[in-house]
Amino acid sequence: MIPPTALSTKLGRLHLPNPVLVASGTFGYAREMAGLVDFKKLGGIVPKTVTLNPRPGNPPPRTAETTSGLLNAIGLDNDGLEYFLQNHLPWLASTEVACPIVLNIAAKSADEFPRMAARVKGLPGIAALELNLSCPNVAGGIDFATKPDLCRAVVASARDACPDLPLLAKLTPNVTNIVEIAQGAADGGCDAVSLVNTFLGIAIDWRRKKPILGNGMGGLSGPAIKPLALRCVWQVARAVNIPIVGIGGIATIDDVMEFMVAGASAVQMGTVSFYDPTAATRVIDQLPEALATLGVSSVAQAIGLVSKTWHPAI
Amino acid sequence: MDSSCAQQRPCAHKSASVLANDQLAERTWRLRLHGPEVAALAQPGQFFMVRIAGRTDPLLGRPFALYDTVLDGQGGLVGLEIVHLVVGKMTTLLSGLKPGDSVEIWGPLGMRFPAVPDHVARVTLVAGGIGQTPFLAYSRELLGGRGFAGKSAQKVVDKVELVYGARRESLLAGLDAFVQAGACVLPCTEDGSLGLKGRVTDGLDTLEKPEWIVACGPEPMLYAVARWARERGVPCQVSLETPMACGLGICFSCVVKVASSEQASGWDYQRVCIDGPTFDAANLIDLQK
Repeated sequence: MIPPTALSTKLGRLHLPNPVLVASGTFGYAREMAGLVDFKKLGGIVPKTVTLNPRPGNPPPRTAETTSGLLNAIGLDNDGLEYFLQNHLPWLASTEVACPIVLNIAAKSADEFPRMAARVKGLPGIAALELNLSCPNVAGGIDFATKPDLCRAVVASARDACPDLPLLAKLTPNVTNIVEIAQGAADGGCDAVSLVNTFLGIAIDWRRKKPILGNGMGGLSGPAIKPLALRCVWQVARAVNIPIVGIGGIATIDDVMEFMVAGASAVQMGTVSFYDPTAATRVIDQLPEALATLGVSSVAQAIGLVSKTWHPAI
Repeated sequence: MDSSCAQQRPCAHKSASVLANDQLAERTWRLRLHGPEVAALAQPGQFFMVRIAGRTDPLLGRPFALYDTVLDGQGGLVGLEIVHLVVGKMTTLLSGLKPGDSVEIWGPLGMRFPAVPDHVARVTLVAGGIGQTPFLAYSRELLGGRGFAGKSAQKVVDKVELVYGARRESLLAGLDAFVQAGACVLPCTEDGSLGLKGRVTDGLDTLEKPEWIVACGPEPMLYAVARWARERGVPCQVSLETPMACGLGICFSCVVKVASSEQASGWDYQRVCIDGPTFDAANLIDLQK
């Protein structure tokens, strides 16, 4: 029998009760899910991305379903950091939620990251910061995670501005070599990298002769991207010495186990919350049995089990 | 953008077995689901997300209005009904379900229809095509035929009119049920195959001036009805359906521009799933042009 403590996991300085979190942009501000989801069971909640200033977001339609996937171009619709701190954080930090809150932030320019990080420094109720370096839907925004040096500099600036808070860097898969970018983030001093954000895609209505999304292109998520995201985790786990949070199409206990043995120390479940709102807590209940099946007695023993031991046959 | 309205309303996520699945009209099906707990929470104007478990294509749930609650012989709550038009993958699958099959359902979601002001004695419901589905339960409630969410039946208004438009007679579904519920039904068909030949606004022209309109249907119809109401000074509520991934308020897909004095632009995006689906037509920016 695997004790509950064996489910805990570490992402650098961030300690989580279990390795299953819910991903940014797919769980609102959690309040919407009260009554449906038992928050106390979760490894953590990453609320919807917050930006320094309010953003109305992109014109609808903002989502389009594709085969086993979902394209979105929400456009970081949010009320801004101050609104979040006043109206959402107190509740998220309350005993009603009682699970680690990872604040996800995005910025229009490199200097906004340290500004935001400095603003939340020392505030109670935030367990870690996750830098959204990778939203594909923000017009005019710089993609901070497409160049290793830029990625390192942005991560370092946020770390300097808020040195006490564990820091996660959420990367885009829309790059030639994600290993280089992850190395850049690690060099910048993050505690872990979150792999990955959505894959850039498009859906077209040829009869109406236009893209389906109001924004044109969007980010693909859901089961369709799981092998691609798993590959990113695999590559980085074998090359970079940094804890990994696996993200991308994770919907079942099998998916969670695949990401962990590939090298993820934790996972975030995203799009599944849209179509199976209680999936994350159900998977957490299934975790002890899956670890036993793997022949290990803790999450720590499962992490990287395959990527560390497997070598291609000669 | 406004995220402050996210309220915690009672909602459940269940597996529900199919009690019956009947074709009501051309491409139009009524799915009867077992689910006393979910049905006991539902009020007219609210909706449910329905999905078929164990497959990822189609992936997301689809929103369906509460059509009716299902009672047993003693008046006990057994489940609920949704009515849908077959338009894509999910609705094709739903139309093929047999009694004993099961679906995933979560809800009720969204806000109920807003309260009718005390002075209103006659409510005019305007439906276009499959937009009729939220109005059967509402007609029953308004006329005192049935209570919802634990409330006992109580007559709210003297008269309910339903102006119900479709391209042709074969697409009109559930007319008998509305008549049985006590609504005065005015069918309008574009080809004249039943009722008035014309559109719902032509139907509205034939009525005594409405006191309170509630409309549901395709966007061009809502636009026409909102304009008709505005030009005559009649209050008009519209129930919207926009592309929706979750129905819960967590995806921010289903937004619509709603007038807001707090924004410099004069509007703000609100989520149809939790701030709606019913809005005052006068507050919807895209219906004002």
